[in-house]
Amino acid sequence: MAIFEYGDVSIEVDEDGFMLEPDQWNEEVAAALATTEAVEELTEEHWKVMNYLRDYYLEFGVAPMIRKLCKETGFPLKKIYELFPSGPAKGACKLAGLAKPTGCV
Amino acid sequence: MSTEVESYKIQKMVELLAPKLTRQVVGSLVGCVHCGMCHETCHYVMTHPDDPKMTPSYKADQLRKLFKRHYDWTGRVFPGWVGAKPPTRDVDLDELKDIAFGTCTNCRRCTFNCPMGVDTATLNRIMRGLLTQVGVMPEGVRVVSKDTWELGNQMGVLKEDYVETLEWLSEELVMELDDERATIPIDKVGANIVYTINPREVKYDPRTISEAALIFYAAAEDWTMPSWGWDQTNFGLFSGDDAMGAASYRHLQEKNAELGSQRLVISECGHGYRSTRCEGPNWSKTDQDFVMESSVMTMLRYIKEGRIVVDKTKNSDPVTFHDSCNNARSCGFYEEPRELLKLVCTDFQEMYPNRTENYCCTGGGGAMSMSEYTPRRLVSAKVKADQIAETGAKVVVTSCHNCVDGLGDLIRHYKLDCQVKQLVHLVANALVLEECAISKIPKEKPVPEPVPEPVQEPVVIPVEIPADRVKIADALSGRRILIVEDEEDTRIFLATLLQDAGAVTLEAVDGDEAIATARAEKPDLITLDLSMPGKDGVEAFIEIRNDPDIRDIPVCIVTGHPEFRKVIYDRPVRPPEGYMDKPVIEEDLVANLRRILETSRAEGS
Repeated sequence: MAIFEYGDVSIEVDEDGFMLEPDQWNEEVAAALATTEAVEELTEEHWKVMNYLRDYYLEFGVAPMIRKLCKETGFPLKKIYELFPSGPAKGACKLAGLAKPTGCV
Repeated sequence: MSTEVESYKIQKMVELLAPKLTRQVVGSLVGCVHCGMCHETCHYVMTHPDDPKMTPSYKADQLRKLFKRHYDWTGRVFPGWVGAKPPTRDVDLDELKDIAFGTCTNCRRCTFNCPMGVDTATLNRIMRGLLTQVGVMPEGVRVVSKDTWELGNQMGVLKEDYVETLEWLSEELVMELDDERATIPIDKVGANIVYTINPREVKYDPRTISEAALIFYAAAEDWTMPSWGWDQTNFGLFSGDDAMGAASYRHLQEKNAELGSQRLVISECGHGYRSTRCEGPNWSKTDQDFVMESSVMTMLRYIKEGRIVVDKTKNSDPVTFHDSCNNARSCGFYEEPRELLKLVCTDFQEMYPNRTENYCCTGGGGAMSMSEYTPRRLVSAKVKADQIAETGAKVVVTSCHNCVDGLGDLIRHYKLDCQVKQLVHLVANALVLEECAISKIPKEKPVPEPVPEPVQEPVVIPVEIPADRVKIADALSGRRILIVEDEEDTRIFLATLLQDAGAVTLEAVDGDEAIATARAEKPDLITLDLSMPGKDGVEAFIEIRNDPDIRDIPVCIVTGHPEFRKVIYDRPVRPPEGYMDKPVIEEDLVANLRRILETSRAEGS
């Protein structure tokens, strides 16, 4: 476990920088985490992706398949990578306050 | 066995070690002269020069101590002289876990540089396997193992999600090329090639699937993707669990046989290639009657046969190649990727050292799934980062999904100015479609689709099912399980869990009823409580094992008395296939029973 601090934000994260207490997530936290993932400014499009990921995660306890993410947000895969350069698993999920995806990623 | 060991788990590890002591393994255990050559080869040592615990021989010594104390005569007679001081208590196991999982990626670089031929990485894998089998493992490994047993893939992807994703990719590709022939065929019987993947492709980054599909299309290949048995990765390789290794491989083998294909093509994945092509048939002790090849070989063949034509000037950035440990050191697979790479890019340069001497991406051996060791992993990645930076390349190409993630992590951490790609991307990018095989086959005039018979749409009533239920819904599908349990509440609880996982349950309240029901119904598995009025579980267990009609039925003890373990395991009969403590955790129960059913099926066949 580690503490991630940025500005007024101070949250518990795992060693890969993913949140341990997803309940503590808010927009300020997302903006702080964005600084670690080469996302310069959070636009409406970023929020659309993050909000979907978050809703899905809170309901089902796992990250959605990339297929669902593209379908529900209407963004093609390429767009997701433009928004989150580290990709959906390591970039978008981290900023949306999800736990680290399981498996070899 | 020595009686000095206090920990039941360690006793069990000593027993589990016995069947693994092949001549090669014993050779590695006794051959080390502690000369220190391996010291200089390991990326953990290079980045932690003052920590003697990073030395490969030290890591292997953990298993050596166990071996010497309990199996080698020198250790039995002079334990103090030969360092035969293995741990004896449960609390020592956590340290062993940290060494085996947290300070080694099983990359085998030390193995290649040992003058005595000691295979340290194999010894480390054996240690991981012993720990995993007594339930000591990092949380990430536990989750992945559970998903593998329950759903047949390491990322818990449901079958319907997998198929839907492929259909989506297929539609996109057909639309992009405006050609129906670009469809991704699923479960096509009799296809030349069955193509398997790493779950991260379908779950998070399916670009590699689309690129592979484009290449198969361009080559006018008759190929298919299986709807089941598609996960070529095999966490058994990382966790050291040979039973899981065998079960995961069998999924691929059986599906391939069902589809009647002669060739299984493995997407670019180092541990997938090694565990499927090189280790799987050994773990599962089965014959292999079809060809298995890396997609690198397939793509290279297409170019050589002229089935696809490429223009290397489309990839003009400076490129270097990173050898995956599993491909290069464990499978001798390192010239073909270079041959292919040189055909599809204009500016290739080697990184040094390379081939079997290359440094690990530092994410190997399952390290990407164990967050607790990430800080150390990233420190050790300095070696790799320096090696890449020195090439000046803008693109690091590798034939391994695990390396893609490992390298991606260290590129971000050390802020290198380059990106990671796989060969499939470069080949797809360099394709000259109008000269490929597909362009020589005239497009058939679209045959008007036969008008389908009007089908009565079934009325679908949407049911909200909680996610965890959806996930395990099919894990025990159709299996008949006898629950022996005297407490009604627990019995109903267990029955409900197992039925939710698709099982058909039978119930018995004491030992006599259990035996009678087992004889009459011949269930696939029995869960057995130990303390019950009348004939208790211990007696019933002995009787089951001595009855030729039912002795082969696997038994999982489910008890509130963990201390009875010894009583059960000391009986002169085959030990139970599983032993679980109450209170039962739903996920563990289903995963354990699934593992038992898979494993005993393999042994029985």
